Amino acid sequence: MMAVAIRIFKQLLNDKRSLVLVMVVPLVVMTFLFFIFGDSGYIPKLGVVDINPAISASLEADTVELTQLTSVDNSLLEDGTLDAILYMDSGKLVILMLEMDSTKVQLVTGAVSAAIKAVFPAADMLQVDYIYGTEAETTFESLGHILLGVFAFFFVFLIAGVSFVRERTLGTMERFLLSPIRRSSVVLGFLFGFGLFAVIQSVLMVVFVEYVLGLHFASSIIPVLLIMVLFAFVAVALGSLVSTFAENEFQVAQFIPIIIVPQILLSGMIPIDLIPLGLGNLAYVCPVYYACDALDALMTRGVDIVQVLPQAAILLGFVGLLFFGNTLLLKNFRTI
Amino acid sequence: MIQLVKKRGIEMGITIENVAKKFPKVEAIKDLSLKVNSHEIMGLIGPSGSGKTTLIRIVTGALHADRGEVRIDDTKVPDMALFPRLGFMPQSDALYPDLTGYDNLLFFGRLFGLKGERLKARVEEMLGFIGLTEDGNRLVSRYSGGMKKRLSLIIALLHDPEYLLLDEPTVGIDPVLRKKIWDHFRALAEQGKTLVISTHVMDEAEHCDRVALLYRGGILAAGTIPELKAKTSSGQIEELFFALGGEAA
Repeated sequence: MMAVAIRIFKQLLNDKRSLVLVMVVPLVVMTFLFFIFGDSGYIPKLGVVDINPAISASLEADTVELTQLTSVDNSLLEDGTLDAILYMDSGKLVILMLEMDSTKVQLVTGAVSAAIKAVFPAADMLQVDYIYGTEAETTFESLGHILLGVFAFFFVFLIAGVSFVRERTLGTMERFLLSPIRRSSVVLGFLFGFGLFAVIQSVLMVVFVEYVLGLHFASSIIPVLLIMVLFAFVAVALGSLVSTFAENEFQVAQFIPIIIVPQILLSGMIPIDLIPLGLGNLAYVCPVYYACDALDALMTRGVDIVQVLPQAAILLGFVGLLFFGNTLLLKNFRTI
Repeated sequence: MIQLVKKRGIEMGITIENVAKKFPKVEAIKDLSLKVNSHEIMGLIGPSGSGKTTLIRIVTGALHADRGEVRIDDTKVPDMALFPRLGFMPQSDALYPDLTGYDNLLFFGRLFGLKGERLKARVEEMLGFIGLTEDGNRLVSRYSGGMKKRLSLIIALLHDPEYLLLDEPTVGIDPVLRKKIWDHFRALAEQGKTLVISTHVMDEAEHCDRVALLYRGGILAAGTIPELKAKTSSGQIEELFFALGGEAA
């Protein structure tokens, strides 16, 4: 078993491209997403028509670029001069926007309600509080756990799948199975060889996200790493399993839309009870759901490691199941 | 001619009995039987597509025959107990291109239970034998075709197996080294090893104790070189392919 694990580790070390793919690409993509989903400091451009001067004064003092208009002019929204127009219609305050765009809607309604609050403190009847996290949390921060989980999975899945297929097409699989090694040792060797890499990758990612991107971790790093590595083991096992059904490297890549994309969508990024037709329940058979759930609990709620043990056990169960499947599939190469 | 060797009443050597193998489009092996005595070099000769590779893979246990059976010293193939005693060199370069030649050898050596200083000494010895000492620390992806072939050969020899199944081991190797390799095969046979070597080069048949001529998945003729030559008018073994193969076709 160690012979296989050592060999895989050496192979990955020599294959500089894959090394970069596993180690550096997740960090680059994370940084990219950090800026895309981060707080851009965008100031919405708001036009007002005949509004209580106290409110518009308060709006101006706030984070809004204000323009006084004489009438509601849609063309200003169409050509992008303004993001929204605020006007009174039979005693009601109306915010008119070009189209549904969640980020800008949030910015504008936030600014308007803050202004109303400032002018009429009595109108302040509704307040939203969060048990975990704050209103100031950026999209990146609230998605951090999903990004960590998905990246830990994706790259290891790809590398393991491709290397398994290569082993088959080169004939090395047939050759090295004609030795006294047990089939289960082969699968274990694969798991540990890539697993060691997954550990290094996970440490890099977690340290980078916490110390460079400054994402706040409510729990300590150790249980986060534990979940990520366990999840990467699932990725290795799943990668080698699906590669059995691929003829070449390109066909491994074809599994991405089938295996990876649905998993990302069911990771909890979209709350699963919001997914229609009960399709959200599919999440319960996706390892990614348990991994992201555990990471969320650790990173945002700061729960104790004991509280994510059920998810860890389920992930371990997936590894066990896939391990068994892989050992059986090796019978294609050697019947005993 | 070497007699069938019996040890403590156990049948020795490789026994191939009524083996047949069909692939989706071709009948690769048709009801083939062959006995390879222990301590001999058996040459498998035939044009490409004649079933040499398929036959060797069936003997190693990599491929499951549709019918018939293969026994090595009375043990039916495949068997875990046989693997340490077999050395297999496939026709394609089944090597890891992203490892050095040295690391390729270490990996296969470890699979066969070699370790530590003994493994290192053996790896150095084999690299020296095949003339790859200088290139041991280079990645196999940088090797030439001939170098890969040589590395692949010493991987099969590394754990000093009793039975060697070598699929076209000398293709792309220069004549001087080729001679050295055949001398080594002879020395191994004298030490009591059994070798099955496929080739499509007729000259190499001369180095074998016996040869089997394969054609379209069956055996046209088998025997020692003098025996086979006696069957021809020109003394050229190739003639048998035309004479017998012509009838079969």
